[in-house]
Amino acid sequence: MATSSKGRFIVRAEIRSSSESVISYGIELTATSIFVVTEWHAAIGTPVSLRLSFPRILEPIDLPARISDIRIAGEPGELGGIRLTFDGGSSEVAGKLIALLDRVNAPFARSSEEVPYRVLLVDDSQLVRDMFAHGTAQFFDRPGALAVDDAEDAEQAWAKLASSTYDLVIVDYILPAEDGASLIAKLRRDTRLASTPIIAISVAGRDAREATLSAGADVFVDKPLMFRDLFNTLRMLAEHRARVRPAAQRKSILVFDDSPFALALTRAALESAGFKVAVAEDLSSFERQRVTFDPDLILVDVQMPEAFGDDVASTLRGWHGVQVPIVLLSSLDQGELERRAQRAQASGYICKGAGMSELVRRCRELLEAAP
Amino acid sequence: MPEEEDLQARFLPQFVTLARARVATAVAAALRGDHGATTTTVRELHSLAGEAGLLGLQEVIPLARDSEQKAKRLHASHAAADADALVAALRQLATVIEGIGTTRSP
Repeated sequence: MATSSKGRFIVRAEIRSSSESVISYGIELTATSIFVVTEWHAAIGTPVSLRLSFPRILEPIDLPARISDIRIAGEPGELGGIRLTFDGGSSEVAGKLIALLDRVNAPFARSSEEVPYRVLLVDDSQLVRDMFAHGTAQFFDRPGALAVDDAEDAEQAWAKLASSTYDLVIVDYILPAEDGASLIAKLRRDTRLASTPIIAISVAGRDAREATLSAGADVFVDKPLMFRDLFNTLRMLAEHRARVRPAAQRKSILVFDDSPFALALTRAALESAGFKVAVAEDLSSFERQRVTFDPDLILVDVQMPEAFGDDVASTLRGWHGVQVPIVLLSSLDQGELERRAQRAQASGYICKGAGMSELVRRCRELLEAAP
Repeated sequence: MPEEEDLQARFLPQFVTLARARVATAVAAALRGDHGATTTTVRELHSLAGEAGLLGLQEVIPLARDSEQKAKRLHASHAAADADALVAALRQLATVIEGIGTTRSP
């Protein structure tokens, strides 16, 4: 049943034109085109850069493309968007795309059947939860390939996440009490759960998409859900689980900053560079993460309400005997930051004003130099 | 790096929303002479400068840092002239943030 739905799966789609940058999702992927759900459009023929991925699972593929069709949203559930046809110039790109399609349409490996792909659906609608359970039971014709659990709100979801392990979490944005974006952000801050793939879903359109993607969702999908596409995607993800690079092989970085925004941004940059990341917003969380996460490198902001980062670095070095690189990260003047780093016996410093590329470059450099 | 542009596109709307709220709160506190709030203002402006730096928003950094310095001065002096100087700096900062919100958000 599953193999008859070629191309009907969901990927994250990032579009860049000369004037716009849009993050959304794509469906109906073929060897020549994809339909991207979005409110944005430009004239037919407009060239764009397109990146297709499923963060944490599928490596990004960059494709030059052009708008070949525009579909205006009509009936409820009829999604508006643009069809992008890939420019055919690059055989390397075409090869990657074909490899992606092949992987997606490959039959289930035996190992995938033996260990179910575990999904947690967080949605306050009993009917949606029932439809999902019913749909997956019908779609996955090999019992045991997929194990679905559900939660009706963020609190219940968090309790389940604390006690079980899931390969994927699907989170509705509109939930009672705590919204889905807040749950996603909490998940991303947790050392154990931070690298879990997350699909956000909602009827709330663009606002929900922006909120959930900013919070750390990998892919956002509009409701009403196209269950077949979603199930195909689950099947693809289940198939890929075994191929995901083991987290243990990646270097780990703990970031300590009192700004949740800076933490989210730093985490996103470092994770996209291949690092395993944990974050801490206060001293108690930092101390807990330092022990449990056992990072290969520590990044510490300097001016924080509870402590100065250079004092933290100095104590870790001088009192706790921490050997891993400790780096001060701040928007202070470079001279001041350099002096503080030297006094604290930190391994170095990074000016926030230097941007994310420099941050990633310095982390790589320090980790490569570390014994 | 291309990833930096992706990150900027992803995080810019949230930054603009956060920065607007911070600056508006700081202006309101300075206008009503709430000197008790200046510690928070200093901290928030410091965070704003750092976040702008990480996002590569070079035009925001000096204005945020200048506002931070003016807030520190007001914290020490409680002088009306320093409050006026802070408000003027914050308004300049707000204008730049609005410009970013208008021209760069997807």
